[in-house]
Amino acid sequence: MSTPMIPPAPAGTPANTPAGAPSRVAIWWQHHMHSVVFSLGRAWRKPWATLLTITVMALALALPLGLSIALDNVKHFTGSVQQSREINVFLKDTVDVPGAQALAVQLRARDDVAAVKLQTPEAGLAELREHAGLGEAIDALQDNPLPSLLVVTPGAGRDDARLARALGTLPQADLVQHDAQWRTRLDAWLAFGARLVQVLSVLLGIGAVLVVGNTVRLDIQARREEIGVLQLLGASDGFIRRPFVYLGAWYGLGSGLLALGMIAAAGMALRAPLAALSQSYGSPFVLKGLDLLHSSIVLLCIVLVGWLGAWLVTGHFLRQTRPTDT
Amino acid sequence: MPGATKRSTLLHNREMSVLRFDNVSKQYAGGHEALVDVSFEVAQGEMLFVTGHSGAGKSTLLKLIHLDERPSRGTVVFDERNLLKVRGGDIPRHRRAVGAVYQDHRLLTDRTIAENVALPLILRGTRRADIGKRVRSVLERMGLGHREKALPSQLSAGEQQRVGIARAIVGEPKLLVADEPTGNLDPTLAAEIMALFAELPARGTSVLVVSHDLALLRRMRKRVLILDHGRLLDDISPQDLAE
Repeated sequence: MSTPMIPPAPAGTPANTPAGAPSRVAIWWQHHMHSVVFSLGRAWRKPWATLLTITVMALALALPLGLSIALDNVKHFTGSVQQSREINVFLKDTVDVPGAQALAVQLRARDDVAAVKLQTPEAGLAELREHAGLGEAIDALQDNPLPSLLVVTPGAGRDDARLARALGTLPQADLVQHDAQWRTRLDAWLAFGARLVQVLSVLLGIGAVLVVGNTVRLDIQARREEIGVLQLLGASDGFIRRPFVYLGAWYGLGSGLLALGMIAAAGMALRAPLAALSQSYGSPFVLKGLDLLHSSIVLLCIVLVGWLGAWLVTGHFLRQTRPTDT
Repeated sequence: MPGATKRSTLLHNREMSVLRFDNVSKQYAGGHEALVDVSFEVAQGEMLFVTGHSGAGKSTLLKLIHLDERPSRGTVVFDERNLLKVRGGDIPRHRRAVGAVYQDHRLLTDRTIAENVALPLILRGTRRADIGKRVRSVLERMGLGHREKALPSQLSAGEQQRVGIARAIVGEPKLLVADEPTGNLDPTLAAEIMALFAELPARGTSVLVVSHDLALLRRMRKRVLILDHGRLLDDISPQDLAE
């Protein structure tokens, strides 16, 4: 053979050195781009396995996410019925409107009172006529039978029941109404629900890490020979790990988008009947979903979960392949 | 051992050795001694063969060079660096400096020929444009320029071996080790592969070929190390071989 078999290196490149000398950042960037493209290709070449993994992870994410959104909506709804904290003080017939106004001023001065609203007998009658559909019956009445009503809002963090008892001792008070017990119970249920969401999130988050980890582990087993060849050629741990870690991140991103899609679809299905239900109670309640910021945070978290699962499994595998001293 | 004496003289005439085994022994868990007190040097730009029957320690010797294993005693020095001190992230760097050719080729089956050959350059961080040029050039010289988009499964055994060699030399390593590279090839293809190897020393790449094909060793007339039960039985110079 007269011509040499081995091609010459590009001009300016010394023998036995890599052709060209890109910076470390350029090499880092090139390796990452290689891993991004390669991991996407790998997910694309196994569509069913990828879809299965993403769906399992999406369900694991959608459950606590949906529960959390439902809980937020319940809080929002109960927040809109603030009157449940309010104490209704029905005054005696003998107390006229100026007397009621004076009492309202006196009560507003108390430390444990946030606000006092006076509803005169006339205003009460008008409200009754408007909302209860009792217009004809009310018109038949000779006199207004309603007393003046003081609606007292307790101060934040104050003992509602104690204030109600104090208001009951007022000489002008005829009847004090305070239905706070259901609210207290609801608050307790909401606190329980919030804790349940936290526990579920942690458990299902660990589940998602394990799902990704197991999928990547199977992928590593299937490509063990290829990884061995890459190691023989001098691939660093990072080079071998990166495609798998990106794959985990893609699984996370796919499952996050699918979970958010599921939540949005569920929200759309429930929005109309819930709006009709709340309207029948005269409540302006509207079902709220996740806004852009919270959706982005959820996506970021699940991408990190996918990344972490893949990183842990590949790290374990790489540690097993290191040469040992004997 | 007259061959060993001549070898030593030969090395003094050269500038430096690329690879040096100093009293290297390797004992595996369970007590099996795969190598016992082996010492030899490989000069820059030298081609040599290692031979011996099954279990002689040839594979272990390659594993020690490639840092798949570490010696139990003695030192292996590559390019003036004690491989015992090569750890962690330096292991891949060391492997990138050693080209390797295997009897079973070890090509990545789901990547094209060009992608397989490009791997060492990608690992070194060579510029994309340079990778394309170098890969095309190497494949052209190997007579595989028209197959660069083919998958390994679409090639014959001889072509696959040439791809393996192209991958090993594309990065211009200081040392190329080949484990029975002609084991599965007919004599014509084997001669062709050996001719490819014989060109490498001229470019500064030392070549260490493990083979038990005695006819091939006689034909090549290169230095031969003979291993037997883990011991270096003989170190035969080309002159001694010719005689």
